[in-house]
Amino acid sequence: MKLAYITPRFLPGGVVGGAETLIRDLALTSVQVGHEVHLLTTCATDHFTWNNDREAGEETVDGINVHYFKVNEDRNIEVFLRIQDLIDKGREVSREDQQRWAENNVCSRDLSAYLKQNGKDFDAILMGPYLFGITLESARILPEKTWLIPCLHDEPFAKLDIVADMFRATKGSLFNSEPEKALAMRLYDLDESCGQIVGMAMEPFEADPTAFAAKHGLDRPYVLYCGRQEGGKNTPLLLDYMQSYIERRQGAVKLVLTGSGDVPVPESLRPHLLNLGFVSEQEKHEAMAGAVAFIHPSTNESFGIVLLEAWLAGTPAIVHARGEVLRWQCEHAGAGLWFRYYPEFEAMLDRLLEDKNLNQQLGQNGRKYVCSTFAREAIARRLFAVLEGKNL
Amino acid sequence: MELSLNAGDLDVESLVKEIRNEVAKKRQEGVYSDARIGRAERHNLMYMADSEELLRFYLNCLRDGVHVDINDYQIEDRRTGWQGKFLVKTKTIIWKLLKFYTFRMWHQQNQINGLMVTAIESSFQQYEKKIAKLEERLAKLEGGDSQ
Repeated sequence: MKLAYITPRFLPGGVVGGAETLIRDLALTSVQVGHEVHLLTTCATDHFTWNNDREAGEETVDGINVHYFKVNEDRNIEVFLRIQDLIDKGREVSREDQQRWAENNVCSRDLSAYLKQNGKDFDAILMGPYLFGITLESARILPEKTWLIPCLHDEPFAKLDIVADMFRATKGSLFNSEPEKALAMRLYDLDESCGQIVGMAMEPFEADPTAFAAKHGLDRPYVLYCGRQEGGKNTPLLLDYMQSYIERRQGAVKLVLTGSGDVPVPESLRPHLLNLGFVSEQEKHEAMAGAVAFIHPSTNESFGIVLLEAWLAGTPAIVHARGEVLRWQCEHAGAGLWFRYYPEFEAMLDRLLEDKNLNQQLGQNGRKYVCSTFAREAIARRLFAVLEGKNL
Repeated sequence: MELSLNAGDLDVESLVKEIRNEVAKKRQEGVYSDARIGRAERHNLMYMADSEELLRFYLNCLRDGVHVDINDYQIEDRRTGWQGKFLVKTKTIIWKLLKFYTFRMWHQQNQINGLMVTAIESSFQQYEKKIAKLEERLAKLEGGDSQ
């Protein structure tokens, strides 16, 4: 098959968002099973400025033909931000204003022109995530060939008319989880045939569970969270819970955080917190392998890649019960617990600290689950079953 | 389908249920009557609001933590010797002065906090009673229809 993947950014060797990583990975999986893959993206590298940081052009990366196009430089950021603010606040926004928001979002006329001219040569066009102008514009060009990789969240942007139109007009979606598919069905009144669950390939790794504690001189067990530290990820809740846990348990554990963000830390938690910011993949994996539990309190995720990584490291997870996707992942992996409020969180963490066998069993379940369900061969099988219209 | 298979033998759903039952028991024993838990739940309130059971628990936590603590406490310093003694003495004087000048304000604040929690609890209880009465009436009416 000749496939086109479309994503806002592609940085060989660099760090991009979760959805962009997922699309790059699906493109790579397609190349590895012998398909011709073209990846259409922008010249931007920074997701705040969206400046055209690199030259437009083409290059081949890991067998993927990457085409870079310039982001429209005449986009009206003021209009975009004004409408975005209204959408974000859940206000009623007219269809015209939704369209203006999409046009002034991250779009590329050059990319659209390329797709209009060459789109007919592709057997399938896959694109995402759903809320970028580049996706909204491209999906209109050849909807009959277009598959969305939406990474859909339950948020005001998902409720826009133009987003609903896109989901209804395109051929279907590749989802990461059942709750994500259920959300799309509910929001856009779609039936079961609207898409399939594919996911993302995960490469197994080995990590020394003692290395991280030794490197940082940790003399107590620790729990870990890796990812953006912000309100949207529920990091303040994690800090409050850990503050209370450490006070009530007289400092039985430490909290380790990695990733970007700046959330106020309660004074009494500071001596028990190790906040490392960005760390290497190797160090992250070692931190995961040595942790008592990986805690992911976010309630609005379309897929917990970091949870799968923690499971590959053999570490169980504790997630918020309101995070439908993460909870679904824990249930299906048999590798995590979910709390509704502090007392349950405390009891779960106590249990994982005290019962080493249970901790180990949950971690092993996680690793087994990821190695079987998210192996590259399994992803390729599911992806091409969808694209070739076969039953899973 | 492949994704719907449970990878392990361990039933995590049962485990979560078991932990919830343990927590419910401990709650009745007062294990979680702690102002620190009320504080910890501030970012979780929006998720608790639609569960009567959890909201009731939060109100209890709030009652435990509603008053600003203005009692005297043991003032210490990690330094030993004359330096430590001097610092403890200085801190004690500062605390006494602070308490003298702010006692009235904190006392009033505690009164307001206490009244607010009582008001919230009362309205919660009143609504509970009203809903119970309406449910009872509805059940009677539905019973009448079926006869």
